[in-house]
Amino acid sequence: MNILEANKIAKSFGNKSNKEEVLKGIDITIKKGEFVSIMGASGSGKTTLLNVLSSIDKVSFGTIKINNLEMTKLKEKQLAEFRKKYLGFIFQEYNLLDTLTVKENILLPLSITKTPKKEANQKFKEVATELGIYDLKDKYPNEISGGQKQRTSAARAFIHEPSIIFADEPTGALDSKSASDLLNKLSDLNQKRNSTIIMVTHDPIAASYCNRVIFIKDGQIYTQLNRGEQERQSFLSDIMKTQGVLGGVHYEH
Amino acid sequence: MNINQLIFQNLKKNLKNYYLYVFALVFSVALYFAFVTLQYDPSMDEVKGSIKGAAAIKTASILLVLIVSIFLLYANNIFIKRRSKEVGLLQLIGMTKNKIFRILSVENLILYFISLFIGIFVGFSFSKLIIMVLFKTIDVEDIAQLHFSNQAFIQTIIVFCVIYLFIMITNYTFIKRQTILSLFRVTSSTEGKIKKTSFFEMLIGIVGIALILLGYYVSSKLFGGDFTSMNELFLAMSFILGSVIIGTFFFYKGSVRFISNIIRKSKGGYLNINEVLSLSSIMFRMKSNALLLTIITTVSALAIGLLSLSYIAYYSAEKSAVKNVPANFSMTNIEDAEKFKLALHEKNIAFSETVIDVIQVNIDARQILDSNLSQLSIDPDSMTISVISDQDIEDIDMSADETILTGYDDFLSKFMPLKKSGPIKLLGENEVIPQQYVGLRNDYVISYNFTDGGLPVAIVDETVYQRLQQDINPTIQKPTSLYIGVDIKDDNQIKVANEIFLASNFSDDNVSRFEMSSNQKTNMGLMMFIVGFLGLTFLITSGCILYFKQMDESEDERPSYTILRKLGYTEGDLLRGIQTKQLYNFGIPLIIGLFHSYFAVQSGWFLFGTEVWTPMIMVMVLYTVLYSIFGILSVLYYKKVIKAAL
Repeated sequence: MNILEANKIAKSFGNKSNKEEVLKGIDITIKKGEFVSIMGASGSGKTTLLNVLSSIDKVSFGTIKINNLEMTKLKEKQLAEFRKKYLGFIFQEYNLLDTLTVKENILLPLSITKTPKKEANQKFKEVATELGIYDLKDKYPNEISGGQKQRTSAARAFIHEPSIIFADEPTGALDSKSASDLLNKLSDLNQKRNSTIIMVTHDPIAASYCNRVIFIKDGQIYTQLNRGEQERQSFLSDIMKTQGVLGGVHYEH
Repeated sequence: MNINQLIFQNLKKNLKNYYLYVFALVFSVALYFAFVTLQYDPSMDEVKGSIKGAAAIKTASILLVLIVSIFLLYANNIFIKRRSKEVGLLQLIGMTKNKIFRILSVENLILYFISLFIGIFVGFSFSKLIIMVLFKTIDVEDIAQLHFSNQAFIQTIIVFCVIYLFIMITNYTFIKRQTILSLFRVTSSTEGKIKKTSFFEMLIGIVGIALILLGYYVSSKLFGGDFTSMNELFLAMSFILGSVIIGTFFFYKGSVRFISNIIRKSKGGYLNINEVLSLSSIMFRMKSNALLLTIITTVSALAIGLLSLSYIAYYSAEKSAVKNVPANFSMTNIEDAEKFKLALHEKNIAFSETVIDVIQVNIDARQILDSNLSQLSIDPDSMTISVISDQDIEDIDMSADETILTGYDDFLSKFMPLKKSGPIKLLGENEVIPQQYVGLRNDYVISYNFTDGGLPVAIVDETVYQRLQQDINPTIQKPTSLYIGVDIKDDNQIKVANEIFLASNFSDDNVSRFEMSSNQKTNMGLMMFIVGFLGLTFLITSGCILYFKQMDESEDERPSYTILRKLGYTEGDLLRGIQTKQLYNFGIPLIIGLFHSYFAVQSGWFLFGTEVWTPMIMVMVLYTVLYSIFGILSVLYYKKVIKAAL
């Protein structure tokens, strides 16, 4: 079942005289339960693509359907409604509210949908235990480490069981140990809860945890790699090869 | 790019940031200039000369300078903080601190002096309006004419140059103290680190509330007879001030956070959007703003209190004139009264006349007095008051052993509370007539010449009155024992009658109520005007400071709004949260200020007039409305920020 269908989406910035096309007609379909990476060099448009797909930004042209609902036609208010029900977000800069405790941060999405308190606590306990941050629940974000913050952010994205979770460079600010911890948790959750995750990254290791990697170049899809039954290590080397061809930047490992 | 170009570019780019600073400046200058122009205007001579207004105006202008400088320094602080990043950047590319300071100074100089001249222009146009308002309040019938006063101009320039120097000094120390690193982080480090509520904080919060309540309690006792000497009164007042102000400070430092923490705990981590935006942010900011909020609260309380008191005096002018002179005109001898009546006849002015015989009698009132009177020089065993017969008062008929008291004012009732009823003795020269005191009436029947300015008047039965008159004590009698009240039937003719009265040049014992109340109004009008002017300045400056603070805060919180909107909160959700937050931010200082001023007014209003509720509530409502405007403005600003956040 396709959970997300994007058709010929284009996005340009600037005015008529100084127009810059960032996305030039991209088609993407994502199935339920997939863990997809979007890769590309900086400036290739991958973050713009994520913003557009996640309804934070508007497309200039093209259509996006999530759960068969055409998002490109929705009004701002409906979009907000849509986001709070069906989407979850993880960002590079964690995007936690400094004035709230870990628990309060995680419960935010449930509070928008006015979930009963008992159910909310139950869900919190589940997801926080899975991510190993239950003991931190009364701490403030400035009292915990980067990895813990990102796991808090991930818990917030998962707690309301959204249809799709968008992650923008979730490992960008983490050391490699925390990064692999987080990615392991993400793929665990992806399998256990059958949730769909779309992740933007430039880190091939992060991408190797996914089922599929989409490469973007100059606002267009360059190629796609499917992991299939491959081991993570061999998938990683595939990704690195493609990346080398794509950007000329070579990773040394 | 040389330095001059840099300055120019900066100025152009920063105008948007600066517009509030410019507004603050223009506003302060206009206010000050308007005030000083009034001070030097020849048309004010009458006001100044008549009632030592000059001193009052001078004091007010010094206060004004003080408020304005604090205000401008604060505004400047916010704006320099906002530009700290830019300053850090300039330092990073190798500019010395002195050079940066020079750039900032020149930039500031241009803005400051342009605003100064705009302010003077606005102030000048404004002062004409103000003087018209002033003349209206004090009943001076004059056409407001204003001249541009050079003296005022020079004084304004000097004062604001000095303030400019102060601003430069603070900027200099600000830049000097910063390292490149801290310049980049200034906005986040000024707000306190997020910590858990400690036991100590809780203690401070409780102490704060206790201190405020203690201050209120002492204030309610202030004129209740517990503090008798001047020294004790002064000590008590200082105590109240100290305890309330320190209490307020502790309240902001501890209680707000403490209370919100309790509420928050009870939610068990499940906060709705209102709580996210209001509770959590207030919790962390109230504490670091404690000093500022205390100042704002105190200033608001001061302004409301002073405004209420002077408005009470103004508002009661007519009533206290009625108290002093129950009829439109009060005469004390038949000759003058006849002359006046004749003159009224000639002008065809209809009037009614009340004639009351008044004698002075000592009474023994020990058994009906509630407290000891050591503080007043009155002997309860033998107190001299006026006595009149029940025949002279239309709606009263007393029996031979009953006495009623009338015309007891609030001021006296505070110092000399009376029981509901009880035995009293009327002491004639030889005879003692025991009477039963049966009650108190509020109306005033004879003029203040007889009542020593507020003592009650005893009404007795005609027979008792006759006995007292036979047995009169000549040493305590007033020069006259006759009260003649002349009431003009048509209110519109009072003014004409008053002119006749004034033209007749009667002795001082004869009083015109109209004249009395308009004198009182003139006196209180100027007071009210000055207090009103200062109050308005207090109001606007504290409102602006809160508004600036909120602007600053909204910029700091912009990332949070971005997050929340990404999570799916709509602009409307966020705005509702902000409204709640502003309700607290603006409401808490306002409500506490209102409480403070309420207790201040309650403790001593009777020294100023006869009516407390109407004028006090009017002042409070007006203040609240004007103050709320700033709250609404800040919500609008937040709206803009939220809209731009995603």
